[in-house]
Amino acid sequence: MRTILAGLPGLAAATATAPAMGTGEVWLFWILAPIAVLAALGMLVAKKAVHSALLLALVMFCLAVFYIAEQAPFLGIVQIVVYTGAVMMLFLFVLMLVGVDSSDSLVETLRGQRLAGLLAGAGFAALLMGGIGSAALGTRAGLGPQSASRNVVDIATLLFTRYTWAFEITSALLITAALGTMVLAHRERTAPRPTQRELSEQRFRSGGQLTPLPAPGVFARHNGVHVPGLLPDGTPSELSINKVLAARGDIRSGQELDTPGIAASTEEEK
Amino acid sequence: MSPLTSSVLTATIQAPKIEYSQVAPMLIVLGAAVLGVLVEAFAARRLRYGLQLGIALVGLLAALVSVALLAGAHHIVAMGAVAVDGPTLFMQGSILVFAVLGVLTMAERSLDPGGTAFAAQAASVPGSTAERDAVGAGIMQTEVFPLTMFAVSGMLLFPASTDLLTMFVALEVLSLPLYLLAGMARRRRLLSQEAALKYFLLGAFSSTFFLYGVALLYGYSGSISLTGIADAVSGATGGDALLLIGTALVSVGLLFKLGAAPFHSWTPDVYQGAPTPLTGFMAAATKVAAFGALLRVLYVALGGVRWDWRPMMWAVAILTMVVGAVVAITQTDVKRMLAYSSIAHAGFLLTGVIATSRAGLSSVMFYLLAYGFSTIGAFAVVTLVRNSGGEATHLSQWAGLGRRSPLVAGIFTLFLLAFAGIPLTSGFTSKFAVFSAAMAGGAAPLVVIGVLVSAVAAFFYVRVIVLMFFSEPVGDGTSVVLPSALTTIAITVGAAMTVVLGVLPGWFLHLADQAAVFVR
Repeated sequence: MRTILAGLPGLAAATATAPAMGTGEVWLFWILAPIAVLAALGMLVAKKAVHSALLLALVMFCLAVFYIAEQAPFLGIVQIVVYTGAVMMLFLFVLMLVGVDSSDSLVETLRGQRLAGLLAGAGFAALLMGGIGSAALGTRAGLGPQSASRNVVDIATLLFTRYTWAFEITSALLITAALGTMVLAHRERTAPRPTQRELSEQRFRSGGQLTPLPAPGVFARHNGVHVPGLLPDGTPSELSINKVLAARGDIRSGQELDTPGIAASTEEEK
Repeated sequence: MSPLTSSVLTATIQAPKIEYSQVAPMLIVLGAAVLGVLVEAFAARRLRYGLQLGIALVGLLAALVSVALLAGAHHIVAMGAVAVDGPTLFMQGSILVFAVLGVLTMAERSLDPGGTAFAAQAASVPGSTAERDAVGAGIMQTEVFPLTMFAVSGMLLFPASTDLLTMFVALEVLSLPLYLLAGMARRRRLLSQEAALKYFLLGAFSSTFFLYGVALLYGYSGSISLTGIADAVSGATGGDALLLIGTALVSVGLLFKLGAAPFHSWTPDVYQGAPTPLTGFMAAATKVAAFGALLRVLYVALGGVRWDWRPMMWAVAILTMVVGAVVAITQTDVKRMLAYSSIAHAGFLLTGVIATSRAGLSSVMFYLLAYGFSTIGAFAVVTLVRNSGGEATHLSQWAGLGRRSPLVAGIFTLFLLAFAGIPLTSGFTSKFAVFSAAMAGGAAPLVVIGVLVSAVAAFFYVRVIVLMFFSEPVGDGTSVVLPSALTTIAITVGAAMTVVLGVLPGWFLHLADQAAVFVR
């Protein structure tokens, strides 16, 4: 960090022009900025949610480095620890629970909406770049050489004096979020939970499979879950295999795995 | 000793000073909300409804009393985060009154055979057996009340914030519960959930615009407090790109919340999908809060560059009025029609904002009060007209309502006449106040357009009245269900205030005028 900030402390005094960046910071910017922009664009166009999430983490990481270079080490660390570390990883966990395979439908429900959105976005970007690029930035004194070590103290001072009220009101936001999650996700039981005895009686009354299901695999040859077990008459048992695997077409019959000689001999036995 | 520890040790932080009596309205409502959450956690299910309703109503009324006790206050409190002044108190009072009426309509249980207008169990998938079981068990989602209270606390802070950061937090506090509540309708749940998702996504989008604008204004002025920005504006000679873009983006965030065109697209869908009592509350109270914040930002912080933002606001106001009134003509659903009517009203209100004067401020505040009473009443009437599938909101189902239920149709007619701005209703007084303020503020062409649009808008209000009274009833089982005292009180208060503000508006106009000075 010392090399990155090498050019900065002295600049606080140089008020004639807007503070220029030190060489190290220039290099840092031109290396990380393209990565951040490309990652942000990639996040938008990535088809899989996991890729989007990881690219967003990359964008956040680049921003964190910029924050640190701008003499805001606390903000930078918080960005990495809280956002990149905790929030994004939680997000990835959620994606894992939902299913990594699921990707969004990319069918346009409104015709030409994507093109219109692209044009509007490009126009907005041009407007912002033109406007902010031509803005007359006043001379800012910078944070001064002491700021890096006082960073946390300064933030704490602001948070617990000037912005106490906003800070306290934020708790309402957190309670709302917790309450909302409960409302949208928690299902209270409307009926008492059935006991094991009731479940057992129900199973016998309905007259389905009473014993445990037969195990998959053919003894001494294949015990994978994708090979159905054979019944005494040699036919594969539907019950021994998972329905999901069957639906995906991953089931292999015991016969096709057999060596030709043995297969022939079993045919003869039949 | 390392430099870090030494600097920590030498730093002395003065304990913040919060004037608790001055922010009491917010604290009471927040306290009621937190108490409601505790009730959800610990009280038996059969007790919850009564407890929640009691806590909400007592909290709101106590907050209303504390607002009344603060009357005449004119200072900035809570370490410079909250302005307690005339406009704040007037709008907080309005919001609290609307919240009381809103909670009354939300608590109504005698219209739907299942219970309130909210889903028995929001977590159950629409159409599933779990949903049927939940409805059959007669349970209800009483979290609605604490969520409403959280929304109200955000609304109370939104027009009172004196810096943009607090304003942003308030915006989120008021929005988040509304996003949730919008998705919790008992009937037509998919429509409701779609509305909630739309509201959430677009609301989050507009919040980022607001935040970006705040960042740019900070870049321009080096301050996020409204007075700090005002100082920077008055010190500068010409308009700066950062200031202009920042102003535009902050305005986008606020205009979205109040449903002004071209940021109105969420309004009809959300108003239609959300549970009707919530729609009424949202239409009335959110508008007050959003206009309060917009007025404070534009008048206090950006009053110095009004020649820069006024042309843009002209365009937005004209577009909002025209889109609201013209598209409303084609609507066949009562709730959607009222939604477009609310967009048109946002346009009329903006003409008062453009006046940039004390009269403009007071007329907008009066308009918001008048419009809120009529809106809550109108949406409460919509909850009464039902058939076996729930509320009958299609206009064709309202045909001949005046013959079967003259009283309900008559009250709805009163609200529609108020929306149209017919004399002797609150709508006329408020429109007159806003237009005369705009006229004095040098916006005569805007007033002409406003009057023309009012004539167009009157057409579709009158069309509904004609439909109710002069066409044959359709026999599809649509009838007016008798409500309990809760909704009856809400409708009665709404109708009574619509008449009072139209016939004897003097005291309220005077109050609004007295209150119309921002603390700086």
